[in-house]
Amino acid sequence: MYIDPHIHCSSRTTDDYERMAEAGIVAVIEPAFWLGQPRSNAGSYHDYFSSLVGFERFRAAQFGIKHYCTIGLNAKEANNERLAEEVLDMLPLFLAKENVVAVGEIGFDDMTAAEERALRVQLDLAKELELPVMIHTPHRNKKRGTYRSMDIIEEHGVAPHMVVIDHNNEETAKEVLDRGYWAAFTIYPKTKMGNQRMVEIVKQYGSDRIIVDSSADWGISDPLAVTKTANLMLSQGIAEQDVQLTCYKNAIDAYNQSGQFNEADWLNPTPIDEQKLFEGNSVLRGQRPDTNTPQEDEIIS
Amino acid sequence: MLFENRDKTPPTPAKLLRGWLEPIVADAPLAWLDHQIAAVESGDESALYLAFGFAPRKVGKQPLEPSALQLDLAQEARSGWDPSRWSVGQAARTLLLLSIPSEDPAPYFARLEKLFNAAELNESVALFQALPLLPHPELLVPRAIDGLRTNVKFIFAAIAHHNPFPEENFSEAAWNQMVLKALFIGAELDPMIGIDRRVNPALAEMLIDYAHERRAAARPIPPELWRMVGPFADATALEDMAALFAAGTEVEQAAIALALAASATDEADEILRTKPQLASQLDQGKLTWSGVCAAAYAN
Ligand SMILES: [Zn+2]
Repeated sequence: MYIDPHIHCSSRTTDDYERMAEAGIVAVIEPAFWLGQPRSNAGSYHDYFSSLVGFERFRAAQFGIKHYCTIGLNAKEANNERLAEEVLDMLPLFLAKENVVAVGEIGFDDMTAAEERALRVQLDLAKELELPVMIHTPHRNKKRGTYRSMDIIEEHGVAPHMVVIDHNNEETAKEVLDRGYWAAFTIYPKTKMGNQRMVEIVKQYGSDRIIVDSSADWGISDPLAVTKTANLMLSQGIAEQDVQLTCYKNAIDAYNQSGQFNEADWLNPTPIDEQKLFEGNSVLRGQRPDTNTPQEDEIIS
Repeated sequence: MLFENRDKTPPTPAKLLRGWLEPIVADAPLAWLDHQIAAVESGDESALYLAFGFAPRKVGKQPLEPSALQLDLAQEARSGWDPSRWSVGQAARTLLLLSIPSEDPAPYFARLEKLFNAAELNESVALFQALPLLPHPELLVPRAIDGLRTNVKFIFAAIAHHNPFPEENFSEAAWNQMVLKALFIGAELDPMIGIDRRVNPALAEMLIDYAHERRAAARPIPPELWRMVGPFADATALEDMAALFAAGTEVEQAAIALALAASATDEADEILRTKPQLASQLDQGKLTWSGVCAAAYAN
């Protein structure tokens, strides 16, 4: 049983959902993020948020996967200041929703003043609503961006145990863990983190507060990254308990600080939820899911 | 904690809902809810949006499970209102909706629109099931019709099933589209309040065409369809009905028997008499549309 606590399902196909469910993924978190191109107005942001709390959650449920999300204005779009202002105003309308488990993904991209302002406003909101925070760390200038994010979080009095710092690497892991944060690692082919490297990280740092995710999105990415990494860890002698922590349990402990990410939700769904979520098969449209999964390379580099 | 009804005015739905929550919600969350209700009443917009989202988390998500007596009181307060499938959180959400100042329709409607536009799945259900309790129903009709365009069957059902709003407020065209869409997505018709009161020739005509087309393609016809056709059965319908009556499944035959009885023409009578056993079951009241619905969707 695994969780992918960072995946952009809106960009994925139903085949992906089927394969994820077969691979043992029981729950996912979809953080609000960039669409790959800039949004031209706040209305399209509104509809994106409402699909994260609405249709995407329904679609995932049709494949037996519990879907949660995080809501936030991402760093790139914080730089469009007029749009940013409207989106920040919109956040209270979405952050209180039942399946919203954190404010995120927020943080830095270019490390501009506008990005910093949006980050600060959203940290205050997270504090006010007692929600965890998911921090996106930048691709460029990662180390400085990561440290700067943590400095600002501490300035705002948000407790490190309420914050998941994502997209870590060998350079950032130690400082993030030392300062008391959850450290998430994105297994994303070619650019972010490979799963063999991930195995080494768990060997070095253990499993305390370490979280594995796929960040699979509209790019070349792998929605099975969490399961493949878990398999690789097991095959290289990492204890089962550590695999369960990094690929399942730590995500629950981090995000259930929202009160909205509880194992019971997928282990014993209440009758009401079951009736609601599994009735009405509009995505499958009468087709049977194809269960022929090809064997794939388990190494993600 | 039953409402004491000493004078003749029936309790309002809001009073009932608040009373039902009393024994099942703990003091602190109930105080939280009362506080939010007061804030919403005073016009606090952001309290409305946040409290509407947080409500189930605070007061609980378990089923409300009103007693038979409570359901009677609900009927008395608002005819057709059926909260038997509601959850506690949904009741709290409805109380918040009922607290929005509504004397001035424009700002009231703008707030509701904002909630509808940002709703997650359970919120959508709560909003649509609350429709019959809300003031200014005429403003809410387009929203209800739009909600029926969903692909999510349980949201469709929140509007179409156990809800008096469509019968009371929909035009004939909107009502007919709702019934047609239900047949297309496999949603039951029997739980639609007013299903027999709102039969009409235009709907029957569309359904007769649809059934004929299905039969020509050797595809199954939803048995409940005949419920709207019966009173308006024409030659085409009677021909299709006769064929199904002779060779259909058990539930199809039961549906046709009921439809033939509703048709009350000599031809219909003749077809019915070809199966005396079904005709006598019909006379004894053993065949019902609810039974047809239950059998058609059982599995
Ligand atoms: Zn992401």
